[in-house]
Amino acid sequence: MTPTLPQPRADFLKVQDFNFYYGKKQALFNVNMEIPERQVTAFIGPSGCGKSTLLRNFNRMNELIDGVRHEGQILLNGRSIYDKKIEVIALRRSIGMVFQKSNPFPKSIYENIVYSMRIAGINGKSVLDETVERSLKGAALWDEVKDRLNESALGLSGGQMQRLCIARAIANRPEVLLMDEPCSALDPIATAKVEDLIHTLKKEFTIVIVTHNMQQATRCSDRTAFFYLGKLIEFDDTQKIFSNPSQKQTEDYITGRFG
Amino acid sequence: MAHILSTFEEALRDLRNNALMMASLTERNLENARKGLFERDEDWSNTVIADDEEVDTLEVQVDREGIDIMLKYHPLASDMRNVIATMKFSVNLERIADQAVNIARRSRKLMARPAVPETAELEPLYSFATKMLKDAIQGFADNDLELARGLKDRDRTLDDMNRAYAEKVTDRMPNDPSAIPTYMDLIFMARFLERVGDQAKNIGEDTIYAISAEETRHQSRPIV
Repeated sequence: MTPTLPQPRADFLKVQDFNFYYGKKQALFNVNMEIPERQVTAFIGPSGCGKSTLLRNFNRMNELIDGVRHEGQILLNGRSIYDKKIEVIALRRSIGMVFQKSNPFPKSIYENIVYSMRIAGINGKSVLDETVERSLKGAALWDEVKDRLNESALGLSGGQMQRLCIARAIANRPEVLLMDEPCSALDPIATAKVEDLIHTLKKEFTIVIVTHNMQQATRCSDRTAFFYLGKLIEFDDTQKIFSNPSQKQTEDYITGRFG
Repeated sequence: MAHILSTFEEALRDLRNNALMMASLTERNLENARKGLFERDEDWSNTVIADDEEVDTLEVQVDREGIDIMLKYHPLASDMRNVIATMKFSVNLERIADQAVNIARRSRKLMARPAVPETAELEPLYSFATKMLKDAIQGFADNDLELARGLKDRDRTLDDMNRAYAEKVTDRMPNDPSAIPTYMDLIFMARFLERVGDQAKNIGEDTIYAISAEETRHQSRPIV
């Protein structure tokens, strides 16, 4: 019997009274939101609005920058990501990230996927092989690369590299997949393949995607959050946001009247 | 606030202006059809039939411009609703213009037969339908939610007026069997006017959707 997944949580990734500072400059102001499990949530807003800043807080990447601090909470499946018992490296496996510019390691395709496993001391060939096949199939890349797994990842096309980065992220079976403008450097066909992949991945993963492309947000996401000057202005079903937003600022931004 | 992209702003403005031009022509054709009918003047009826081509041409143009805007600018929210409502507005206007042609064609047949007093009894229906069209256009042009909402009830009134007229004229048929072809034509005329009311009501529903995203079609109360 196929095990059924438990009912998805509406507040799987929860942001509570969240403020964030780069030194003295406040970048996020009292953000409150609940991101639902196994759905795609899009963050939109003009440059500098804080959407990428919030995204990078989910896996505590911002802590790599000097002088940052936060107030408030972020909870993953009911547990604070700042809990002292949580090891931040483990958190970053559990919350995977894909960036605008794909960043495969200068290693083979195979080694890219298994890198984090080797670091964790897992070296059994059958486990690694299974992970590579599962992840590359999950990223819709297996058929294109299965006969050249030992070739350099740098020989792949831009779209393939990005799908390899997605495969690398899902190899760790994360709970959440963060994507920061994953298609902005890709051609239309590669973009379509990644968007198609997102549609499949959301059955298994909770996805948060930052995008400047509003048509992409309408195509790919279930919920959309609009940010402006560090504040969350509106967060609702994507269909509502793009057909009849509640806030005038949202309407002005998405219809290109902004500024 | 205007769109940052000026070509988008201009395209939306041109689309709306062409649709309103089409509305003007439709009103004119319906009025000319009225003159042809009640004044038994074939010249007016012929004018309506000839002028229908202008309305048809504009419908195609509005459609093309609307699709062009969708392709180029991917309008969202109120822009999207307005473009869709404008394209549907032009479809409804074209159908009303077709009713004017139907009235004009039947009028020419009526003129070939003796006049009957029942023709003048169509006047209240004609005025009612014409006013509905005028207000539907005004509601669209001015984004007037109240004017648009009022069209549903008025359409029901026109439906009742059409039914009452058809019954009255049918009851008179046994009294003058030779006038039956004329009476049948008049019943058709009333039906054409009833259809004008339906299209005007549709324009109202699309205007409401454009302004407030409310769906009011085919229901007794609006659902947001």
